[in-house]
Amino acid sequence: MQKLGGFKLPHFFNYPPYFTLQPVRETREKQVQLWKELILDYCRSQKIFVIGLEEDFPLFSNPVIERSLSHEAREVFLSALVAEGRAEWMDKSHKKCLILWLRIQAWADYILNFVKENGFEDSVMTVEDIQSGIETRGTELAGIDRCVLMRALRLLEQKGKAAIFKGTSTDDEGVKFSA
Amino acid sequence: MRRRPGISGLQSAAAARDQYRLVGENVAKIRTDLMKEQLATFRSQLEEFARKHKNDIRKNPTFRTQFHEMCAKVGVDPLASNKGFWAELLGIGDFYYELGVQIVEICLATRSHNGGLINLQELCSLLCQRRKTAREAVSEDDCLRAISKLKVLGSGFEVITVGKKKLVRSVPTELNKDHNEILEVAQAQGYVTVEEIEKTHSWPSGRAIDALETLLEEGLAMIDDGHRDGKRRYWFPCVAPISAALGAEGLRSSS
Repeated sequence: MQKLGGFKLPHFFNYPPYFTLQPVRETREKQVQLWKELILDYCRSQKIFVIGLEEDFPLFSNPVIERSLSHEAREVFLSALVAEGRAEWMDKSHKKCLILWLRIQAWADYILNFVKENGFEDSVMTVEDIQSGIETRGTELAGIDRCVLMRALRLLEQKGKAAIFKGTSTDDEGVKFSA
Repeated sequence: MRRRPGISGLQSAAAARDQYRLVGENVAKIRTDLMKEQLATFRSQLEEFARKHKNDIRKNPTFRTQFHEMCAKVGVDPLASNKGFWAELLGIGDFYYELGVQIVEICLATRSHNGGLINLQELCSLLCQRRKTAREAVSEDDCLRAISKLKVLGSGFEVITVGKKKLVRSVPTELNKDHNEILEVAQAQGYVTVEEIEKTHSWPSGRAIDALETLLEEGLAMIDDGHRDGKRRYWFPCVAPISAALGAEGLRSSS
């Protein structure tokens, strides 16, 4: 089976009609469902957070069968994710889309869990540390999008589980966890 | 001079008739007895055979098919009743009912993908995947037998032959001759174009489009506008080999 950077592509990716928006409602629903799952799975495995609709994205075309998704189709599939709260448009013209393979709430829970398991309660970490530090290596947090991370941290702050403080530059933005 | 009929003449004629009838009855009785005896022998032979090859019948699909053929030729249907001697001996009835249930499940699970029409071959391979844990192998013949048992339920399970392939229909959609012919053309590549259909069948343009629209509505076809030549292709998941793998995937995620 075809692979994309270690990601195992589903069989429908090689079936040409899945690259054309289907006119019949039931068929379309099935098609959208398959694409939604594929986009989320792929982004998760490759740690992709932002998809640009007008840029090249490996899932949007399949050179093996010479098919690619029209702009309309891309927007339909991503809009379906947005409707489910698994993605957000980053601009009004729908050119960039933030993919939340974990919802913000789930990210916040994940961070809290990470903090507890590694004994970081009451200690300070920089945002940079979380994104690319040695502590988070091998967890879902490694390589997390800054925007997503900040929103999750802010959610934790609201619940009184963390305190974000700013340094002089964005680089030393830090967070103190309290379990 | 002619003799007139007398009492004794009539009596002897009646006696002769009685004699004939008696002899006739005897002969008939002997024949039936013989037949009964032969049938009994045959039955016991068949039982003995079935008993002896019980494991083969259960486990070897080819052998099972041949056994069924043999039974059909002598007018015995091992599936006729689940309570009969055959079921007790072979457990064959249960086997086919089990298959039937699994076939229904597969048809339902793949319906959203193929619109309720599935290739027999594909169905069979999905069935085998599903039964991986069960020891007995399943042949297409077994599938057909199980489906024929499903008919009793009146649920509209039917096997249709399109070209060389057999398709199993699990939706009440009636396919007319035009639809069947389109499916037949589609078997070659998995898809058809309006042009192709018009050319192979020399239909007027409306006819092909009408039939294709219906197939689309029924969820049996999918359109593909992405080819370089710009001609719309109609794909049929029920005949395309790729759907075998896709169906399996759908099944796994739904179970």
